[in-house]
Amino acid sequence: MSDKTRSTPITPSGLNRRRLLQGGATFAAAGAVGGITGFPFVNRLSARAADAQTLNFWNFYAPGGDVKTQVDWFTKMAADYNASHDIKVELDYVPNADYMSGSKLSTAFASGQGPDIFLISPGDFLRYYNGGVLLDLTPYIDAQAQADFPEGIIASRKVDGKIYGIPMELEPMAFYYSKKAFEDAKLNENDIPKTWDELLEVGKKLTSGDRYGLLFEVQPGYYQNFTWYPFMWQGGGEFQDANGKSAFDSPGVVAALKLWQDAINSGAAPRQLLGGGGGDIVANLGAGYCAIQNVGIWGISAMDNNAKDVPYGIFKLPTPPGGKYVTVGGGWAFVANAKGKNPEAAGKFIAWALASMSPDSIQREVDWCTVAKSDMPTRTSALKQGADAFNKGNLALFAKDILPGVRGEPRLPPEVYKIISDAIQQTQLGGADPQATATAASKQLDAFLATYKGAPML
Amino acid sequence: MLPIPHPALRATFCHKGEKEEFGTRFAKSLLLPQGEKVRQGMRGGPQALTLWPTPTLGPSLKEEGDDGAKTLCSPSETAMTADTNTSMASTETPAKDRPRPVGLTSRQREALAGYLFLAPDFLGLLIFVGLPMLLALAIGFFDVNGFGTFNFVGLANYLRMAGDPLFWQCMRVTLSYVVMLVPGLYLSGLGLALLVQRTNRFNTVMRALFFTPQMVSVVVIAVIWQFFSGDKIGLAARLFTSLGMPGVSILGSPSLALFTVVFVSVWFLMGFYMLIFLGGLQDIPQQYYEAARIDGATPRQSFWHITLPLLRPTSFFVLLVSLVAAVAGSQAFDLVYVMTKGGPANSTQMMIIYIYQQAFQYSAFGYAAAMASILVVVLLALTGVLFLLTRGGRFDFE
Repeated sequence: MSDKTRSTPITPSGLNRRRLLQGGATFAAAGAVGGITGFPFVNRLSARAADAQTLNFWNFYAPGGDVKTQVDWFTKMAADYNASHDIKVELDYVPNADYMSGSKLSTAFASGQGPDIFLISPGDFLRYYNGGVLLDLTPYIDAQAQADFPEGIIASRKVDGKIYGIPMELEPMAFYYSKKAFEDAKLNENDIPKTWDELLEVGKKLTSGDRYGLLFEVQPGYYQNFTWYPFMWQGGGEFQDANGKSAFDSPGVVAALKLWQDAINSGAAPRQLLGGGGGDIVANLGAGYCAIQNVGIWGISAMDNNAKDVPYGIFKLPTPPGGKYVTVGGGWAFVANAKGKNPEAAGKFIAWALASMSPDSIQREVDWCTVAKSDMPTRTSALKQGADAFNKGNLALFAKDILPGVRGEPRLPPEVYKIISDAIQQTQLGGADPQATATAASKQLDAFLATYKGAPML
Repeated sequence: MLPIPHPALRATFCHKGEKEEFGTRFAKSLLLPQGEKVRQGMRGGPQALTLWPTPTLGPSLKEEGDDGAKTLCSPSETAMTADTNTSMASTETPAKDRPRPVGLTSRQREALAGYLFLAPDFLGLLIFVGLPMLLALAIGFFDVNGFGTFNFVGLANYLRMAGDPLFWQCMRVTLSYVVMLVPGLYLSGLGLALLVQRTNRFNTVMRALFFTPQMVSVVVIAVIWQFFSGDKIGLAARLFTSLGMPGVSILGSPSLALFTVVFVSVWFLMGFYMLIFLGGLQDIPQQYYEAARIDGATPRQSFWHITLPLLRPTSFFVLLVSLVAAVAGSQAFDLVYVMTKGGPANSTQMMIIYIYQQAFQYSAFGYAAAMASILVVVLLALTGVLFLLTRGGRFDFE
């Protein structure tokens, strides 16, 4: 038997390979059994059953956001609701970039586990509506409250007269300028540009060795489109005419594309931005990178909180020759998942939070726009109830000067957004001829509109 | 003194000419690099030996003296554990006459052990990579809106792809990226490896420094290089201004952005490929270089005729891995997405970024899956070409 030796070598501890494999197999089996029954993520059924009484509200403000006033607003809202209702609302924080351009929401919806309540921007509205996941909120909102939202603001969240989202804020776009930069270039209040030509001129005057005069958004995305639309509208441009055909090949569009191209080509505007991009005023204007920045109303609280030592001014968008003053107003909305675990409760929550005529619902909107952020409200009653806050300081400037003439951010299907985004990018950064680009984009738009069967674009 | 060969090789040595069972061959091919030559530092110059039993095996051993073969295979050696009683077949009764032992032979057990060790990894790959790939291929024929509806549309997605100018732009950008990145990584990896080849303290420090970018998150790298390449106040812009070229935007100009991205990618990855080449360089026996020096070869000739040819397996690996990384690696997506988001004007819109946008930002999952399938086919074609050129990654050295 001496030659029929062991075929498995014995290690010093007495553990041979067979024992190791057997042990490993048992361990793995135990783990698998435990995992399948124990882990909440694996065992969906038990997880869902346990949470039918909880609504998940996915947002990018709380409880992990970095602006305390905004976090407080959300947590107070959830706490107030939970104190007075059986069904509880739970806030789930998703970081900003992840929420807007990440895959978290898409993956959740694709696997049928989308959140019960979430925030939506006008740019994304059609994608979700056409996918059939937005709940009709009209039954939960009484008629008086429905009328409280001006048509121009709520229209982009309505389809066939039914409301699918409640806007929480209105953020008009304007220009902010650095007072110190103006002083350095020996300019004063009278030099604030009122036309596009003046804007370019002042921008060039303010450009120096380490500072740009003007700043527009350059990174492709929904935000860039959003900031460009008012320039198109001012010259009378539209992307769709009354017959539903593309109206992109028009002088207004070409002029708007040319303005952004001239700003870059003249050297007044940068091709690359700092910080979070065009919407980040503190990293650009606040850091002295540019003298004039195209930014929305949220710049007020951003500068006041994070760049206290940079004095700034605000002026409304200049107009082209023969053009009309228009600005664009964005803002996110509360929506409910029609395929969630308890859509009715979600609808009721949204109505209670922001779309009821009770004073605390209106006050909640006022608090969001004056305390948590610096925004314009979306309800007439909120504008009245918070009148003294809205008539103070820079908010007053927005309320009186900039707000009249605001047009809600359009809702477009992703393909249309992309066509317009490419046109802006080609002209602004690629140096393409604006007329040729507008014509080509218009043809693409027509091709798409011919087969589009979703809710109407606005 | 002959070194005792690897147990798996013993079967080869001791069964010259006998057909091996498939299982053992397969296990050997998995356990030991296929086609890789095992170099044994034998006296008389390095002799490359193949794993596959060949008639030439015998003579090289026999050169040591006939006792070599007998020592290895003789059952009387107590230092080695004999395989099974079949190892004695060459000295006792022929295998086909002996009664077959019950159960698995030792070689079969080796094979089984090999399979079992591979099973978890293989199962994992199958479940988490293989199956989703097949599903994605299937989804390419559907119109999926990401909210639960699946409509079968046949080839509509592929036809849309053919007519989508952005798809062809992405294809161009991706291919340009590959064409610039793969040679860039190869040359920089090899160059760095040659520079730090000798093992001394300075070189050890330098090796660690070259590898450092790999240890930092690719997103952090992207953000830092964004600052460096910023307009007017960035490092690169100031450099160009001092050289008399103001207003150059290396990340904001469609004509320059891709080069910048390639540059950063090479900077990020070259440490990794340097390590691989270092391993490959250290595999080359010094005797070759000594012999060449004696024969009066210049360093350049040494490099061209000794280093490069013997680096072929390493080169093959580097080219293969960098090709896949260039198309679908983490730096292809994360780095480019953070730095430029595919802009300016779609000049750095890699295919993988476009697929991501179509799937997760426009909810066109079917279209994205169709594009991803095409990407896989292109990758397969390119790697297939590589394999074909090197006959399956096997390198024969004389």
